[in-house]
Amino acid sequence: MSDADVTERPDRTLRTGPGRLLVAVYAVFALAATARGSYQLATRFEEAPLAYGLSVFAGIVYLIAAIGLARAGRTSRRVALVSVSVEMAGVLVVGALSELTSGVFPEDTVWSHFGSGYMFIPLVLPVLGLWWILKVHRADRDQGSFSTT
Amino acid sequence: MVDWLTMTIQMVSLAMAVWCLVSTFRDQPMLVPHLVGMGVLWLLVLTQVGVLIAAMIGGDRPDEMVMVVSYLATIALLPPACAVWGFMERSKWGPAVIAFTCFILPVLLVRIEQLWSPVV
Repeated sequence: MSDADVTERPDRTLRTGPGRLLVAVYAVFALAATARGSYQLATRFEEAPLAYGLSVFAGIVYLIAAIGLARAGRTSRRVALVSVSVEMAGVLVVGALSELTSGVFPEDTVWSHFGSGYMFIPLVLPVLGLWWILKVHRADRDQGSFSTT
Repeated sequence: MVDWLTMTIQMVSLAMAVWCLVSTFRDQPMLVPHLVGMGVLWLLVLTQVGVLIAAMIGGDRPDEMVMVVSYLATIALLPPACAVWGFMERSKWGPAVIAFTCFILPVLLVRIEQLWSPVV
């Protein structure tokens, strides 16, 4: 099996090109949210367990998305699709909740106020992620039907 | 914290970010000049990290010591990490990763500054 075979396998495309940038951004957010959240959980659990717990949860979702995007294969793509969708729902629900009611999340999380504390990247990121996964999926499907027939 | 060093890192970092963004739009992969730039930036960052660690060993400890140390580890690892990324992705998306990193580096420095001398 030559190198060309490996690189031309369609499932690899998710992590190359723009995907590489997405993986980098997701990795940074995974690190930021998990590290910050778990530190706060460990030291100030009683102050806002829900908010800190949510930060850690968000961090884990980012981590799964990063791994899903970085690994080749169809299963990984599904993993990436699900985790990015969870992230999208998370930022919308938590963002809306934090705008409507101030009491639910006394401490800020990555997703509070639609991620305004993080330059709204948490809001834009899942959109770009979904766009990229679907784009690769379409390209693959077209290529697949082309090569098998 | 050494203020002028922080300022210099932030300026160099933003300059690198703009440069890499231009490279991205000009469809260039990561080239040797980019690497040299990142090397200079990395040296500056390591100096800052070294100065802060020396201060902490000397007894000048911030309240949120663990947070500061983890932030310091992050900024020390970011420049080489994105250079590796640039090697893996031999297209315009390599400089794009570096540009992103160089945009968040100044933000991280601001966070460290806040943790180091919190405004009460």
